[in-house]
Amino acid sequence: MSALVYIIRKSMKNSLKELGKKPGKLILYLLVIAAILGMVLLSFIRTVDSPAPLFWFSGILFLFIALFVVNAFAKGLSGGDAIFEMNDVNLLFVSPVSPRKVLLYGLVRMAKTSFWAGFFILFQANTLANFGVDYGGVLLTFAGFLLSMAVLTTASLLIYSVTNGNAVRKRIVKCLAVVLFLPLAVFLAVQYFTTQDMATALEITIGSAFLRFFPVAGWTSSGVTAFLSGDAATGLLFLGLNLLLCAGMTAYILLSNPDYYEDVLVATETAYEKKRALADGNMGAATASKRKVRVAKTGVSGSGATALFGKHMRENLRENRFGILTLPSALIALGAVIMILFGRELSLVLQILMWLQIFLIGTGRGLKETYSHYIYLIPVSSFQKILWSNMEIMARTLFESALIFGIGGALIKAHPSFILICILTYTLFSLLLLGVNYLFMRFFGADISAGLLLFIYYLAVILAMAPGLVMAFVAGAAIGGDAGYFTGLLILSGWELAAGLGCFALSKGVLHNCDMPQMKTGK
Amino acid sequence: MIVVQNVSKHYGKFLANDDISLAVQSGELAVLLGPNGAGKSTLIKSVCGLLRFRGSITIGGADNRSLEAKRLLGYVPEMPVLYPMLTVREHLEFIAKAYRLQTWEPIAEELLRRFELSDKTNKLGKELSKGMQQKVSVCCALLPQPKAVILDEPLVGLDPHGIREIKAVIAGLKNSGCALLISTHMIESMEENWDVTYIMKDGKVAALYRRGDLPAGQTLEDIYFSITESGKKA
Repeated sequence: MSALVYIIRKSMKNSLKELGKKPGKLILYLLVIAAILGMVLLSFIRTVDSPAPLFWFSGILFLFIALFVVNAFAKGLSGGDAIFEMNDVNLLFVSPVSPRKVLLYGLVRMAKTSFWAGFFILFQANTLANFGVDYGGVLLTFAGFLLSMAVLTTASLLIYSVTNGNAVRKRIVKCLAVVLFLPLAVFLAVQYFTTQDMATALEITIGSAFLRFFPVAGWTSSGVTAFLSGDAATGLLFLGLNLLLCAGMTAYILLSNPDYYEDVLVATETAYEKKRALADGNMGAATASKRKVRVAKTGVSGSGATALFGKHMRENLRENRFGILTLPSALIALGAVIMILFGRELSLVLQILMWLQIFLIGTGRGLKETYSHYIYLIPVSSFQKILWSNMEIMARTLFESALIFGIGGALIKAHPSFILICILTYTLFSLLLLGVNYLFMRFFGADISAGLLLFIYYLAVILAMAPGLVMAFVAGAAIGGDAGYFTGLLILSGWELAAGLGCFALSKGVLHNCDMPQMKTGK
Repeated sequence: MIVVQNVSKHYGKFLANDDISLAVQSGELAVLLGPNGAGKSTLIKSVCGLLRFRGSITIGGADNRSLEAKRLLGYVPEMPVLYPMLTVREHLEFIAKAYRLQTWEPIAEELLRRFELSDKTNKLGKELSKGMQQKVSVCCALLPQPKAVILDEPLVGLDPHGIREIKAVIAGLKNSGCALLISTHMIESMEENWDVTYIMKDGKVAALYRRGDLPAGQTLEDIYFSITESGKKA
């Protein structure tokens, strides 16, 4: 055991030492800590007069964790979850350390990964305050999330261990995954047909035993909500179910199959290969799924720079089940429409989508293209290459926003001019983000650490948007009402267009005058 | 054809290439040798216009970042980078269309045949082994029939047939008047065809040898170790 304790202790110590050598990373951490402290202070200052009912919070938390439940099944059926790294495989697995202790070490490491995965919850104090949840409640939610992740990672390991190489068992687990959700879906449908009102049906479903006793997601959401309502006994009962399941599964793995190394090897190797592909600039291989793809129609259209667009469309149509929309963007669109339906307004969803877009802009094939050499070598002007390689994300954003605000706006009977201005604001924001990204490539290249780069990027986006936001706010406030709001968004769109084009002008010739970026993975 | 003059490249404070000059004529094969971290890949990426640098690099007399230079250049990276959702044939079609090549199909067929890829044209990039990916990467680089070809560790990951074919392709390119700059650790693989060798160490060209310059009885490998390991042992 001392070897494992040594690794954990030494890794932590070296990570701290590294901070001294990388001031950018240290600044980033300090800013994150300051932001969390700011959130804590805000939660003391801010009071919500009429908080939203807590069951909505419970429902949202359930949905969030339910996504991870689906993911755990998917991971378990494909290759298990990566709780180890290749260095563990190469050094620990072959060493004379008990496999049981090594598994325990893996679970401790996994807790660290889960901590970062749920870290953003700590920044949700403002959102959760709308449900009357204070910062103690935020921490409780975070703890509940961590517990869920521990259970689900162990579950995916167990599923892989049990179904690996056995088609019949795999089918049984797939059926089980569907059966798990079936009673809840049927109950919701029955409630909807009975009440003829989706909001009421959802409220009843969230309070029902079908949801509360749903494994992991239901237990955690009900447990956290019970604690928040002051019912500690019920809270302990539900969170205890999670602990019990996790302990049971771990015991089963250890007692029934101490030779579990083979079971975790595939996931570890896959994760390592992806990390290595990223570091080598092979962005496509790093993000490619293992799903079998049937090659039907072939060919790449276009000539010169337009061939980039032709290639992206061929890749999209082959990779995505929803055509130009990726699975995450289809899910976001669906979630956004539901939010519009319940919130009865477009502006909040527009704000959330714009925040998300800061992260999601990188999912466009145009920016990914800059990590491999082809685009730099094609003998066409840099401007044309950038234009056509980003046509895919612009088309996707336009389509996505037309879908979200078109359907959502129609459902709540919003004025067509509001729907159009939301589509325009969202789409042009993507143009601005692309501009900022290329500007960064032009001026920073490979000479800056990833953490610091990310921080400066956020700052740059905020600075680039600030004048437009100020002008929009002033004009909106001066005119007032719906007309003011419309004018504000129109000004903001105009600013996004001007600032975006300005960024592109400043990054002129970027593809022929920059360092090809490299993904920093810590490989 | 390839002229590098006083090229320096910094990564932050680290000097990866220090005032490097070299030239590769048409029909000449130049080999870049050096231990890991000597700056070979950085130099190659700079020549291909993938990195900013101080100094001057021209391909066929044109600045290496100009469209004229890009039309003349073919590049095979150290790690093959393919698009996972494109078939082997679509990779070549994409290159042909992006470079606006007119009669590319017969050349593509010949390349695919040479590298035993003719029966894999409908395989997706993600379905290929690393060796296969390397072969497709070479085909993509050679399809536009470049006049200057840069290869970064082209033999890594290839099977014996692939190695033989790459060596034959390199010899063929050289005979057809193409300028070749090849970085490799497999010194013996270039013994037959090399014309000029640059041995790099600590970001600098530590030695330059032409084939006729080698002292009698000494191989490229002997020279390499005498330079890169000098000062290591008493």
